[in-house]
Amino acid sequence: MSIPKRRRRELRASFLMTAPFLFIFIVFFLYPTFSVIALSFTDAPLIGEGQWIGLDNYAKLLNDRLFYTSLWNNLYFVLLTVIPTTVIALLIALAVSRLKGRMQALVLTLFFLPYVLPVSVVTMIWAWMLDFQFGILQPLIAAITGKPVPVFKNPYWVMPMIAVVTIWWTNGFNVLLLIAGLRNIPPDLYEAAALDGATPWQRFWRVTWPLLWPITALVLTLQLILQLKLFDQVYLLSNGGPFNQSYVVLMQMYREAFQLNNGGYASAIAMVLFLFIVIVSVLQFQLLRIGGRK
Amino acid sequence: MKDAGVHLRGIKKSFGAIDVIRGVDMDIQRGQFAVFVGPSGCGKSTLLRMIAGLEDTSDGQIAIGDRDVTHEDPADRGVAMVFQSYALYPHLSVYENMAFSLRLAKRPKAEVDEKVREAAGILQLVEHLDKKPAQLSGGQRQRVAIGRAIVRAPEVFLFDEPLSNLDAELRVQMRLELARLHKALGATMIYVTHDQVEAMTLADTIFVLQGGYVQQSGAPLDLYDDPSNRFVAGFIGSPSMNFLDATVSGHGDNGVTATLTGQPDISFDIPLVDKPAHGARIALGMRPEHLQVTEGQGLRVTVDVAEELGGVSYQHGTLDGGEPVIFQQTGARHGMHGTIQTVTPDPGRIFVFDAEGDRIR
Ligand SMILES: Nc1ncnc2c1ncn2[C@@H]1O[C@H](COP(=O)(O)OP(=O)(O)OP(=O)(O)O)[C@@H](O)[C@H]1O
Ligand SMILES: [Mg+2]
Repeated sequence: MSIPKRRRRELRASFLMTAPFLFIFIVFFLYPTFSVIALSFTDAPLIGEGQWIGLDNYAKLLNDRLFYTSLWNNLYFVLLTVIPTTVIALLIALAVSRLKGRMQALVLTLFFLPYVLPVSVVTMIWAWMLDFQFGILQPLIAAITGKPVPVFKNPYWVMPMIAVVTIWWTNGFNVLLLIAGLRNIPPDLYEAAALDGATPWQRFWRVTWPLLWPITALVLTLQLILQLKLFDQVYLLSNGGPFNQSYVVLMQMYREAFQLNNGGYASAIAMVLFLFIVIVSVLQFQLLRIGGRK
Repeated sequence: MKDAGVHLRGIKKSFGAIDVIRGVDMDIQRGQFAVFVGPSGCGKSTLLRMIAGLEDTSDGQIAIGDRDVTHEDPADRGVAMVFQSYALYPHLSVYENMAFSLRLAKRPKAEVDEKVREAAGILQLVEHLDKKPAQLSGGQRQRVAIGRAIVRAPEVFLFDEPLSNLDAELRVQMRLELARLHKALGATMIYVTHDQVEAMTLADTIFVLQGGYVQQSGAPLDLYDDPSNRFVAGFIGSPSMNFLDATVSGHGDNGVTATLTGQPDISFDIPLVDKPAHGARIALGMRPEHLQVTEGQGLRVTVDVAEELGGVSYQHGTLDGGEPVIFQQTGARHGMHGTIQTVTPDPGRIFVFDAEGDRIR
């Protein structure tokens, strides 16, 4: 008698406690998601109804040269950021974790600071630093290449430079994750390894690296998802140019939706990118797990 | 025969402004089982880690065999250490944990396999070789940690409270296994513990550390029978020795008469060679097991707590002046709780200490 009553009370309480989240989740996430899926099968403009056209949008997308260019640029950007940022974050984390107390907190804060800045400020800072005429980094570039380079207007420089800006901006978070992972490794393991005769190099590869691997895999996966969603930096720094060399999928979606008023087609682009991210990140995570287990 | 003992000369260690070890000399002979005991925070672990090379030495010299290793790397000292936390590599199997040092040294596969299997045989770990440390019980993990040390065939084994994470029964069992292992390997072993029984049963030599110095060292029973100061007398033996303040009230031919402070009616005749002056304040030490219940004159103890352990019981009480006293009873159940008992020390079993805590013999 009393048990179902208690259960009912518990259910009511749990529903009441999750309700605010459920409401926001449904209104601002689930409903728009389903709307986008539905929209992608129509020829609707951005606002207003459209005709059901089945898979036409997707068929059109598969023949869209610009889409392939964008996708390729996305992959190029992933290549430029994901592994480099993880390696850099790991090196910084290893160095910072050797510092003690206040000094460590201070240095960590310095590395984390850029992450706090909004993207518009980040891009503004770098646009100034790399300005063709008065940017303070131009002498450095001139010293290496022989002449100043308008980096965001140069088809070869644009993507790597956006990658540099992105790494500078987001690296602090990865450092933080990796530091937390390093702190979780008990110090007596290093002492045992030292007694066993491990050189610092062996200590890293045989103790630190395998024990840090779950965190490294997490960082790699989070980075992959984040960098595939690249938009803001490109929009603010190069607007996709020059010659579409920095044109990415979300850029194309933005243009179709908000400049050309093709709501249906833009939805299809969003859906394809979504599926692409899901497949690639699940694939990567599985690969990393297998890599960690062997 | 090559000397492979451990020899410390004038060892000092400070952490910043705190002097933890202030000057320690010790000689541990080849094949000996040495035990460090002392109160928490006295620097036992620190001293052990200095011998291992995990902690820098502030001053003094450490020699293993005839090599001065004071500034050598841990790996080059020929020591292996078993940590209280086990410090097993969680991502490696039991086999790989034990093989770790050999793999680092790039030993041939056959040799690695032979040594690991031999150690696993000694420690009864053969069926567990493929498991990860997380799948083992506490005692098994401890054995893996010991196995990792054995595989390296070091000259000196170092143990830092290796059994303190185990339950009482397993502790007794592992203690016996350690004693057997020591016999079988014949290696020098240095062992840190809090546990009186471990120290008394395992040690060839006990080093009592306190205040940054070795207070006394020697065979377990020598420390028990003949402590050289009040600290050692109180530390060795469980429950610990009773100390009563007294004054020298008379000199005899071969001893003194001591009267308890605050209880002028109770005095003892104690044989002493080195007699303190008349009126000197001294402390009398009596072990609980050397106090006998008597019908005649003696210490009147009001018993307030009785710990009955079956075979023996410990009666905790106070004297008229309020000083706490423990005495031991064997055999029969006495139900002494709440009663007043008169006890008297066995003759010749009273230890005398001066005001500084040094033994007067
Ligand atoms: N890295 C360190 N920095 C500063 N002080 C330390 C450090 N390691 C130990 N100490 C201090 O040195 C003293 C001795 O420590 P140690 O760990 O050797 O004690 P111990 O005798 O092993 O105690 P326990 O029986 O509790 O294990 C302690 O007072 C401790 O606070
Ligand atoms: Mg300790």
